[in-house]
Amino acid sequence: MIQQSREQELKDRLNLIEAMIAEGRQTTASWGWAFVLWGIAYYVAIAWSIWGNANIAWPVTMIGASVITGILATRQSKREPGTTMGRAIAGVWICLGISLFVFGLCINLGGHAEQHNFLAAIEIMLGAANGISSIILKWKPQFLSALTWWLAAALTCFATISQSYIIFLIAIFLGQIVFGAYIMIAEARERKQSVAHA
Amino acid sequence: MPDPVTDFLPEPEPATELPELNPVIHGKLRLALLSLLSTVEEAEFTWLRIKTKATDGNLGAQLLKLEEAGYVDVEKKFVLRKPQTLYRMTNAGRQALTEYVQALKQLLGSAINV
Repeated sequence: MIQQSREQELKDRLNLIEAMIAEGRQTTASWGWAFVLWGIAYYVAIAWSIWGNANIAWPVTMIGASVITGILATRQSKREPGTTMGRAIAGVWICLGISLFVFGLCINLGGHAEQHNFLAAIEIMLGAANGISSIILKWKPQFLSALTWWLAAALTCFATISQSYIIFLIAIFLGQIVFGAYIMIAEARERKQSVAHA
Repeated sequence: MPDPVTDFLPEPEPATELPELNPVIHGKLRLALLSLLSTVEEAEFTWLRIKTKATDGNLGAQLLKLEEAGYVDVEKKFVLRKPQTLYRMTNAGRQALTEYVQALKQLLGSAINV
């Protein structure tokens, strides 16, 4: 009898370890909003550069979106513990942001902004960031987003300028808005399930 | 009078000794804390409180015991003028948890074999 209760106690300890490890790995961080926010930011920048001031449209919109992302991400990260995976993902997207900013600024200031190359470079960088994230997270839906951007980059190389912009607009819609909305729905479902299990 | 038969018999081999469970880790809350900290690089006090559903006092006391045993490191800082206490598992803590799990499995194995 004593031996049985001792055995049960040991099993309880082992179950506790497993439960806590699973609990620790569960994240409440949600990033769907960031994809939607950046999708909208791209649309605003494009519309502003066409119908407004082309010189300040992109820098102002991109800096604005970066500031909003930074504030919301900092608030969110305060609630989350630091993990190696989290740092890896953050590293990918922070470096992408810096790369896009440096590239966009310098290619325009240098006067070598050929529109095909410019759009294809942005699309290929977004494809790389999504692809790396999907491999780190082992998350197939994000690889579809990466494929969307890579396909857009490839098609841009063969398209006319107006076609390139249409491809870019479609890629933003699929890779940012639709994908971001999909993540937000999946996150909401997950939250509902975890509340139901609690 | 020596017994000529038993004197020359080899000594019986000692039974395989069962491992002792580390008492610092064996406490339920301390075990839960070390398991949680093994999954992250660092964690805030409030996050640990939410995950373990422990009271502030109990959580603080158990974390102090783990700190005194050298199993966790504590960092206190201010972020936007608000105090923040971060806990990290040390290498000694990771080693102790690994050994605890191995001992637990060995004990359970022997219990099942009996």
